[in-house]
Amino acid sequence: MANINIKKREIECKIVYYGPGRSGKTTNLEYIFKSYKNYVSGEMISIKTEGDRTLFFDFLPIGLGTIKGYDVRVQLYTVPGQVQYTSTRRLVLKEVDGIVFVADSLKVRREKNMQSLKDLQNNLKGYDLSIFKVPLVLQYNKRDLSKQGIPLMHSELMEKELNSQLKVPSFQASAITGQGVGVTLKECLMLTLKSIRKQLKTVK
Amino acid sequence: MEIKKQIQSMIAEAKIYCTQGLLEEAIVYYQNAKNLVEKNEKVKNRETILKTIEDRIISLENEIQKVKDLKESAPVSSEVQDLIKTKFAFSKDENESALEGAIALAKFGQYERALQEFDELLQVDSLRLAAAKNIIRCHIAMSTIEKAVDIYQEWMAGDLFPQDQLYKINIFFKSIIDSKGLDIMLPQVEEPVDFEMNELGESENEDDEFMDISSIGISLDTGSEKKRMIDLDVSFQQGNEINLIISSKNKDLIDNLKVGFRLNDVQFYSPFAIFTGSGIVSAKTQIGFGPKQGDYSLDITVINK
Repeated sequence: MANINIKKREIECKIVYYGPGRSGKTTNLEYIFKSYKNYVSGEMISIKTEGDRTLFFDFLPIGLGTIKGYDVRVQLYTVPGQVQYTSTRRLVLKEVDGIVFVADSLKVRREKNMQSLKDLQNNLKGYDLSIFKVPLVLQYNKRDLSKQGIPLMHSELMEKELNSQLKVPSFQASAITGQGVGVTLKECLMLTLKSIRKQLKTVK
Repeated sequence: MEIKKQIQSMIAEAKIYCTQGLLEEAIVYYQNAKNLVEKNEKVKNRETILKTIEDRIISLENEIQKVKDLKESAPVSSEVQDLIKTKFAFSKDENESALEGAIALAKFGQYERALQEFDELLQVDSLRLAAAKNIIRCHIAMSTIEKAVDIYQEWMAGDLFPQDQLYKINIFFKSIIDSKGLDIMLPQVEEPVDFEMNELGESENEDDEFMDISSIGISLDTGSEKKRMIDLDVSFQQGNEINLIISSKNKDLIDNLKVGFRLNDVQFYSPFAIFTGSGIVSAKTQIGFGPKQGDYSLDITVINK
């Protein structure tokens, strides 16, 4: 749950980029860090390891300025996508307010996307959260690779397989070029803030 | 498509997967290309091509192994440790938050730093017992149980802990030693006057509400171990989350205990009581490093007792 300080009129919320290994979660954050300097409020911390894989998480703090009288600060995290890091993913998800699920558009990663989404659902359950209720946005990443002749899944197929039940906003993207990165984050922020506004009403 | 072009196309695709870090996928495409070369004796420079592909496959397999061997507890900078400490502590209470931060460090495998934090928390009355138990847990996780024994003896000799807390620590530590079948004798602590058994489960902090569990007994509905009660030692516990190590030889058990699997009628053994409850497998990780490499680390969330 977001950290809401009504006296100081501050809101601090947490958005987690989830998805299979090598789907481009860190690349999303790197692009945000590089291209939205005005919003970035601190250094990006990345704990990478052999083969450029995320070991624990990446962290990037951003500030949205004042929205309806509240100073809104957002902490962006990624999880390690490799299957063996289940417990780290669970830790990073604790107290999450919004999620961007970064799916890999490569045909060969079809199964991994579905496994990772299932893993997300299970890990959310552990915190009594439902994947159907948490603010969630899907991103179909690596669309640029079609130019290199690599077989990609049609976005309609990805939509059918990953989003037919969730029915959440989804975006095509190429995190490496930045296409779709901003719009994905913006949508997730809007959903998250909407959900926080509901929480605020309850607090009041 | 002629054979040569098919082979070239497969190798090109494999190379792109390499650049994406998708090493397993790359191997599949190199393997397909290799099979195609093997089937076609007329391919020019066949032996050289085969050797090149084989070398590439071996090199990729080595890279995959390196990734698998990475330990989740790799040392990180103090800046990152500070971040873990502050960002993974959620309590509004300053002391509780400090304890949560120290526990988070331990969970991320930063045991040395976690020990420093727990050491400081020994000075906080309300957290002393929880900090002491976590110091012991860290040493167990680091396989430095002798050090934990030395520290325990220092606590015994000093006046930091009141008698009832020393007694609780003694019971807690003894249960771990017994569950691991270790030949270590701890100095005895006299049972405090008016001490009640249920105090052993009393909470020093929110994460410590659960009674300490030293081992569990489970039975499966399928496989060769069907219906047989299997006893497993608890290696680490935080609140209602317990961690077990399962030998890689126990394939049936590993296959059955998938993440999300609900275990009913689990026997939970604590130092003083056995109770029945349920648990959900919340994480399963193959250990990629150290003496237990290849075995599985399993987290179970105890959902009732």
